[in-house]
Amino acid sequence: MDGNIIADDLSAMVDDRVDEGMFRVDRAVYTDQKIFEREIANIFEKCWVFLCHESQVANHGDYFWTEIGRQPVYVHRQEDGSLKCFINACSHRAAILTPFRQGNAKTLTCRFHGWTYKCSGDCVGIKNEEEGTDRSKFDLREIAKLDSYGGFVFGSLNPDVPSLGDWLGATKTWIDLMTVQSPDGLEVVPGSSTYSIEGNWKLQAENSVDGYHVSTVHRVFAHTIAARESKGEYTGIKKTEAGRIGGGVPTASYDLGNGHMAIWAQHTTPEVRPIWESKDRLEKELTPAQVEWILTKGRNLYIFPNVMLMDNPSTQIRVMKPLAADWVDVSVYCIAPKGESDTARAGRLRKFEDFYLTAGMATSDDIAALEDTHEGSLATDAKWSEFNRGIGSIIAGPDEGAKALGFEPAACTDNWDHEVLYHGFYRHWLKMMKGEFRG
Amino acid sequence: MSDLQQEVTNLIYRESTLLDRREWDDWIDLYTEDAVYWVPSWANEEETTDDPELQLNLIYLRNRGGLEDRVFRIESRDSYASVPLDRTVHVVGNVLVTDEKDDEVEATANCIIHTYGKKGGLTRASLYDFKMRREDGELKITRKKITFIDDRLEGPIDVYHL
Repeated sequence: MDGNIIADDLSAMVDDRVDEGMFRVDRAVYTDQKIFEREIANIFEKCWVFLCHESQVANHGDYFWTEIGRQPVYVHRQEDGSLKCFINACSHRAAILTPFRQGNAKTLTCRFHGWTYKCSGDCVGIKNEEEGTDRSKFDLREIAKLDSYGGFVFGSLNPDVPSLGDWLGATKTWIDLMTVQSPDGLEVVPGSSTYSIEGNWKLQAENSVDGYHVSTVHRVFAHTIAARESKGEYTGIKKTEAGRIGGGVPTASYDLGNGHMAIWAQHTTPEVRPIWESKDRLEKELTPAQVEWILTKGRNLYIFPNVMLMDNPSTQIRVMKPLAADWVDVSVYCIAPKGESDTARAGRLRKFEDFYLTAGMATSDDIAALEDTHEGSLATDAKWSEFNRGIGSIIAGPDEGAKALGFEPAACTDNWDHEVLYHGFYRHWLKMMKGEFRG
Repeated sequence: MSDLQQEVTNLIYRESTLLDRREWDDWIDLYTEDAVYWVPSWANEEETTDDPELQLNLIYLRNRGGLEDRVFRIESRDSYASVPLDRTVHVVGNVLVTDEKDDEVEATANCIIHTYGKKGGLTRASLYDFKMRREDGELKITRKKITFIDDRLEGPIDVYHL
């Protein structure tokens, strides 16, 4: 009964009347801890969520500890090269089994009472084992679903999720634009950063595909880069692609279905991008549309609910770990084509450090804006956030660019200032919150 | 205390004082033109990255111009994260001269940094590895490596937080 009451309340929080020119969301979706608890149960612990990149668990015994919703899990590379993912808790008293976030261990021995598990999850050792113990009863619990696409590993606690391919849908074409950049695939570069945002995870999701903020929040980044580059010390690949930030370039935004979203903006100086060195090879191997999208369109992709893939001045995996209504931890990694030149790799990393980190000169400003947005959302006397920009120019289905590349968005517009991509996000969010989507 | 120890200590004290008092131009003047300013990221729980060119850093500025970028941003008053500006107090200790050769000196130090801003008070800490060089008789910083011991970072981090 209670469930129905909450579900009815939730429906009233997404005011979806696009035909009347109105789509707005009650800001309590960001601030209400009861809603957050429901999100953990109905979204993060029901959906496919991003776990890690295959390069982070490249060799037999490599493990990567992360979370699905609140549940600690680890991905472990098996002897036969496959991956398995287990609940990261000893079968005996639940101590975390992996001493590090990332490491290598062909067997894991619990540091509390010394129980030992093989890579396969089989319980193979119990300290001072009592006679007649059936160790197989204590094999580790594997999560319901594990699969990867293009090296990106996803898992789900829900056995009823659709196949990963069906779930990712149109985002696969966008992921492909990253994976085809090297014949050897992609790799996560050593080093990462994690930062805490005092704000709701959905604000981070929105921000990652919000073209509209760029020319205000990142104006100072563009000015700083312009001042730097006017001194002439930075040439070629060392230059940063900041032309998009001022606006006035072609852009687009997409509702990719299942809550996934994406934007792109045309680069003004694509030749300073690290991938430019591979132009000739890409032109030989790929379709003209793929080459054009890779080389000239800066792209941000949000895959519902917890990961963003950016291919802009640099290339990034950004993973969210929601901890409370007003708290999300974000971990960022630089992902790069294997085998690129040292010059390209260094250029990619320096652009990453300039822009993407909380110690950088742009993400830091995003975080401040998000935290202010969260705080403002506590004002229940002014409770609606409207997502109406571009509501009169929605294209149902693909635009010309999508047709050429070959993906099928639910809807799109020809401007990254537009907010209609969020309609798909909140519609899917509502469906999952009400338990109306099986995964 | 030797003259050199005193001179090195004074330079490090002076840097933290100029940062806390927001005297940015004088702060930059403590660095040589070719100064490297490096804050590695953590590669795992126990080690930082160690190849600044080909691994990810929190900040890696390869000349004084990189510091000028940061000051440009702070002084623009257009950076969301830098308005209002956090208040900071750096307390430096454990200054050790570790090497001395011709005009070059190496030194290490520790720093506790208390900041106060929107999130209230936060206390953080850094290990400093300095290289210094004498230019026209004056000791200047030619390399500063900051091992920022915090891993999960609370709020924006800029040169005055480190």
